[in-house]
Amino acid sequence: MAITEQQLEEILAKYPSKLQKNRKKHIVINDSSCGAQTIEANTRTAPGIITNRGCAYAGCKGVVLGPLKDMVHITHGPIGCAFYTWGARRNKAKSDDPTQNFINYCVSTNMQESDIVFGGEKKLAKVIDEVVENFHPTAITVSATCPVGLIGDDINAVAKAAQERHGIPVLAFSCEGYKGVSQSAGHHIANNGLMDKVIGVGDLEKASGKYPINMLGEYNIGGDSWEIERVLEDIGYEIISVMTGDGSYEKLKNAHVAELNLVQCHRSINYIAEMLEIKYGTPWLKVNFIGVNGTIDSLRNMAQYFGDPELVQRTEDVIARELARIEPLMEQYKKICEGKTAFCFVGGSRGHHYQGLFAELGIDTVLAGYEFAHRDDYEGRQVIPDIKTDADSKNIPELHVEQDPNRFKLKLSPEKMAELKTHIPLSYYAGMHVDMNEGTIMVDDLNHYETEEFIKLLKPDIFASGIKDKYVVQKMGIPAKQIHSYDYSGPYAGFNGAVNFARDVSMGFASPTWNFIVPPWKEEPLLTGSVNEEGVA
Amino acid sequence: MNEKTDYRDVNENPCHMCMPMGGILPIKGIEGGMVVIHGSQGCSTYMRRYISEHFSEPIDVGSSSLNEKGTVYGGEKNLKQALDNIRKVYNPKLIGVLTTCLAETIGEDINRIADDYLKERNLNNDLVIIPVSTPGYGGTQAEGYFRTVREIVAGLAQPSPKHNKLNIIVPNISPADIREIKRILALMGVEYTLCPDFSDTLDRPYLEHYSKMAPGGTKLEDIRGMPGAVATIELGETVGDEYSPGRFLADNYGVPLYTLPIPIGVKNCDAFFNTIKKLTGKPLAESIKAERGRLLDAMVDSHKYNFAGRSTIFGEPELVYAVSQLCIENGVYPAVVATGGAGAKLTNLLRAVVAECPEPVAILTESDFCEILEQSRLHQVNIAIGHSEGRYLTEHGNIPLVRIGFPIHDRVGGQRLLAVGYTGTTLLLDRITNTLLENKYRTYRTDMYDLYYKENSGPPAAAEDEVIGDDGLYSL
Repeated sequence: MAITEQQLEEILAKYPSKLQKNRKKHIVINDSSCGAQTIEANTRTAPGIITNRGCAYAGCKGVVLGPLKDMVHITHGPIGCAFYTWGARRNKAKSDDPTQNFINYCVSTNMQESDIVFGGEKKLAKVIDEVVENFHPTAITVSATCPVGLIGDDINAVAKAAQERHGIPVLAFSCEGYKGVSQSAGHHIANNGLMDKVIGVGDLEKASGKYPINMLGEYNIGGDSWEIERVLEDIGYEIISVMTGDGSYEKLKNAHVAELNLVQCHRSINYIAEMLEIKYGTPWLKVNFIGVNGTIDSLRNMAQYFGDPELVQRTEDVIARELARIEPLMEQYKKICEGKTAFCFVGGSRGHHYQGLFAELGIDTVLAGYEFAHRDDYEGRQVIPDIKTDADSKNIPELHVEQDPNRFKLKLSPEKMAELKTHIPLSYYAGMHVDMNEGTIMVDDLNHYETEEFIKLLKPDIFASGIKDKYVVQKMGIPAKQIHSYDYSGPYAGFNGAVNFARDVSMGFASPTWNFIVPPWKEEPLLTGSVNEEGVA
Repeated sequence: MNEKTDYRDVNENPCHMCMPMGGILPIKGIEGGMVVIHGSQGCSTYMRRYISEHFSEPIDVGSSSLNEKGTVYGGEKNLKQALDNIRKVYNPKLIGVLTTCLAETIGEDINRIADDYLKERNLNNDLVIIPVSTPGYGGTQAEGYFRTVREIVAGLAQPSPKHNKLNIIVPNISPADIREIKRILALMGVEYTLCPDFSDTLDRPYLEHYSKMAPGGTKLEDIRGMPGAVATIELGETVGDEYSPGRFLADNYGVPLYTLPIPIGVKNCDAFFNTIKKLTGKPLAESIKAERGRLLDAMVDSHKYNFAGRSTIFGEPELVYAVSQLCIENGVYPAVVATGGAGAKLTNLLRAVVAECPEPVAILTESDFCEILEQSRLHQVNIAIGHSEGRYLTEHGNIPLVRIGFPIHDRVGGQRLLAVGYTGTTLLLDRITNTLLENKYRTYRTDMYDLYYKENSGPPAAAEDEVIGDDGLYSL
């Protein structure tokens, strides 16, 4: 059931007029007769709107740096920011050397009022010393919180001095929460730092195995990366590094030897992907390991890239084997899910990726959106030159990289590259829009108010989102599925992940609990009218 | 008594959160109350996430979404815009404006901004704004909570004619606890104003229609009338005067203040009931006497199991104080008592009560879980009592955890945990006892076998950390 422009106007009418105009630009009713449709994204959320967005610190320390397991991540600031990123994202990590896995630790300088007044540099330096003494980590990161930038603590200088003192890398990230408009700014800051200070630091010149790859933008939530790695390794790929799920400084520093970079979450890591291509000549491939078809397409595209018939065959063998195993399982869940509708609103890529998996289960996504994506994540990377930069995005420094004189190597001839680009998403992402059906809706930075209003209008059967809107949705009588933390389930990626997801979503529909809970609209007939002998009057 | 001897700068696995986090909860306990956090977007999002998970409820908290420009030119425009937008969508009666590290560091004058806003929009009769200074570096969530309650009371209280009600100020206890206090007061026929009352707003029943503003909360009119009350009972022994709403009412309106611990444990419950009896002249209901009797009966039934327990108690000072007393009453002697904040009043209060303990008790302030674990191992603790972050003690130290307090995010039902009153105490004590028993059953046979039948038997000379998580058998 599609909504009309008029219904949309009615929803927005509740806002003050300036806000109405603002929000209108963030909402698109997909309509192919309009040609390329434009959506506004990555602009500041209006104050007072209950958004799900976080801050630059969340994107930097919480998302990108946090999963790197052999580094101790110090939050320089008052205690809250560190506490709130402590194990909150379910990025799993295991380590052969348990003394070098700090994933369960939360380390803060716990700044007090006196530190704000007199500066926190000395305390930070002492904390770094204590961390080195207590943990003996491979490397350390320092992430700044709001007051750090305001009081002018020079965390770069403190980190540099500590690095010299201790002989291990100490990386500073100026990801104060007020930078940019969402966690997206923090992704960029973290990308720059890792590219500048970690990737390429290793002295490996060549990978030992065949088909060496990096997996970018995969954070191993609920073990996703492990399921993907299982399949990739089975086919014969050598995974040099994962950025950053279950990742490590030790692996990341040699990421330059890969022959191909896979990009799972485009939003959070495309900066590194681009910079790797410029610096080392390594193209990137947009992959999507969510959903059976997404996984199969990604595997086939990878095999095409390397172009080795043996690899192509092995890929097909593994796909056939996995399909034979999981198809009967998916079938039973499909019977429960078929014909249902979903909302899918997540961070930067999952809002797109999960639509495919829903479709495989017979569930139509009627509304989707991203919390903090940019226009290219909706419309495709071809719009990047047209994106207007505003004051908020200008505040995030661009890292300028150049060809590495020794390590740059074209992995493909320009002709081959051009040929491949015609049929696989090589160094390109087409965005969410092309995959959505007519009449469905894209909403950027969906907020609480709009969530409720769209639910009332579109009456979805399931809402895939996060913890903050989960309880609104469930109180409205609709099952919610957390796509950030997976409701403590997972993995949801790859073949086994698809089955897990299908099982969990089916539980949402089949649980007898819902027999006691009926959404208000299901008690009332959707259409009113009387029936006479000729039919509906 | 052990006091903190090592002065580390690093905080490794924190045991406390920041001030604005604590400020959100009381505003949610005021009828028609809405919150705006004046700072960058992340603060409100992070806090909503934790509160939502604890209560399994929607937590709508606005943000003034300050960006880099705001840090240079000030956030007045953003804050006013936030207030406009919140009013339009939520139509609240009261908006609490909480500051953050950012707002405080750039020196925002939220009192002036709030006054100007009400004048500019001509809202003086229709909306109450309560600005509260809650810098993240200014204290823990416990201070944020009480400062906010105090500002709410101070902002609304008016000279009122005397009436028969009692003011009841509650700390950060669960909605189930608040409902229990209300049940007890109703049973005794006592009229009261309980503030803040998030028993309904943060634990909503499933209703046919969802409304953005949760029904319930302390009525603004009732708070306005608090100066006319018979007396104030504040469940806040550990609360400093500058944070105390009851102290405000006493100093400004002469309302007699009775400061009590949370009614957890026999003595604390007795003190609570005796105070009410004294203030209202109402006798203790027969059914409450029976509840007390059942608690005593339960204590007797469990005393041997409990006496095998050695506890680590951690979290917000007020709860830590009451739970420590419960543990002392039942012989689950605390070995480590810890809080993340400065806890000056807590330390003095604890010193008096732990004097009854047969062995030294480590009182840790400005602590973190690194230190709490270290001390728990040292003291051979076999049970921990506190919020979810204590799972670290289970994972790394094999010490079972009884969950109570805030936040509970790795189990459901944080909002339903009942611990106050004689009945609540019984339920909490049972959970403590059963956790000890569960651990005992899990290892009893192996322990006995190892002790008496294994070659070279005798009390095992295990490494220190292996003794942890034992059933406490050898320590007796």
